[in-house]
Amino acid sequence: MFGYVEPDKPELKIREFDVFRGYYCSLCRTIGRLYGQVPRISLNYDLTFLYVLLDSIDSGKITGTIERCLVHPTKKRFIIASNSFAEYCADMNIILTYYNLKDKWQDKKSLAAYGGLAALRGAFKKARKKHPEKCDAIEKCLNKLSDLEKNGCDTVDEAAEPFAELMRELFECGYIKDEGDKKALGWMGYNLGRWIYILDAYDDLEEDIKDKNYNPILMQYDYNGDDIETFRTSVRDAVNFNLTFSMSEVEKSYTLLNIEKNKGLIDNIIYSGLLAKTDKVLQGRGKENEKESI
Amino acid sequence: MKKNPYKVLGIKEGASYDEIKRAYRELVKKYHPDRYRDNPLSDLAEEKMREINEAYEYLMKNAGGAYQYQTEYESASESSGSYKQQYQSQQQYKSGSQSSYGYQYANDTELENMIRSYINSGNLNEAQKLLDRMQNRGAAWYYLQGLVFLRRGWYDRGYSNIQKAVNMDPANFEYRNALNNLNQQYTGFRQNYYYGNSFRRDPDMCNLCVNLWCADTLCECMGGDLISCC
Repeated sequence: MFGYVEPDKPELKIREFDVFRGYYCSLCRTIGRLYGQVPRISLNYDLTFLYVLLDSIDSGKITGTIERCLVHPTKKRFIIASNSFAEYCADMNIILTYYNLKDKWQDKKSLAAYGGLAALRGAFKKARKKHPEKCDAIEKCLNKLSDLEKNGCDTVDEAAEPFAELMRELFECGYIKDEGDKKALGWMGYNLGRWIYILDAYDDLEEDIKDKNYNPILMQYDYNGDDIETFRTSVRDAVNFNLTFSMSEVEKSYTLLNIEKNKGLIDNIIYSGLLAKTDKVLQGRGKENEKESI
Repeated sequence: MKKNPYKVLGIKEGASYDEIKRAYRELVKKYHPDRYRDNPLSDLAEEKMREINEAYEYLMKNAGGAYQYQTEYESASESSGSYKQQYQSQQQYKSGSQSSYGYQYANDTELENMIRSYINSGNLNEAQKLLDRMQNRGAAWYYLQGLVFLRRGWYDRGYSNIQKAVNMDPANFEYRNALNNLNQQYTGFRQNYYYGNSFRRDPDMCNLCVNLWCADTLCECMGGDLISCC
């Protein structure tokens, strides 16, 4: 997960911002409660979005408390009460982070990744026990992804599929009862996954050229060592089409979900947040103010 | 269990006829079958459309005085009728074009029809198998392959295949139409949801100054003066 899915902050109402932050804090605390303090740092916005979305399909009222928390000791914050969706997202966060670290350790032999892996092992086992099928499906997607990368897959669409399927798996949460909602969620996850994967590939072009890493965009459009900026510009329209089309499918599936609350917040993310992020990355400003804390 | 018709249309209870109509029109645009053509969620959109039509018809029948009811209900059934008609003609057009172009490649007609029905029912693996078996890779093949890619969510390849079909057979209305739809979805999304955001259209200070200056100039042309200092 990469943390690309976030609200367009200037367009957000202050109340909506507080609610989003409330969900973020709630998820962070749920991870702390279930898995201890260390894994809390691994949380990102993509899973917060999933939590907001799943919880908004449920018609129950938002409840929460205003509390002080260890991470932000100076200010009291609104924290939304944890529920089964929060626990689901917390479990998924642990599983994804674990696999991510494992991948880093295997690829780059990074010692930090090894340390993280050791620290997360217990938590991962616990999460795996709760969702054995999801965990297997995620592992299968990630194996497929690394196979494609090893074989130097030269089609962006094909390379994006495993991650898209992984996101479909995440979004098709078992706690959602309505079959229609589940189907729409799955298609939304697939397209959001595509969007994240392709956006990340475009964002990382320079780094991947420098480090000679695999990048599907470099493969499909035959990068031959030219100036990076020229290359970026030459593929921008094609990438833009692919990204925008994926976003419009995300929007289509969103309109078919029975959303009961937080409509303003989710509208902001779907109609404005995704596009703002896309344009930022396409203009080469994706790395700016990364990890801006909320 | 029936849903609250006001909630379905996203309006307050006791909304006026105009408000109901406006909401209805917006929703028809949003869930129109055209927008969900060749989409795995088309069945959900259809169901939603049915819900919206029912809610609209119900409100038009039950929500007002006798006089209003008469006139409004007529126009209501008219508009929902026209929507249905449009939809039917589309279906006809779909099946019509199917047969006309099957004629061109008589050998593969059956295969193509099978592929089409697999795509429509969402069985993409079977459709792909048949496509792989087809020897004759003309415009029709690229078109169908493009449709399969689009349904799978491979938009880049879907687009390039359909573009190829149009290049090979520029006269074919169906292929051109599909390509136009793709372009529309792409530009439409950007225009509607980002640059169309109201805050970007709000007059800013710069705009205000230019407008004032224009007004002043125009007044001066006519011999008057709006801002006396310039």
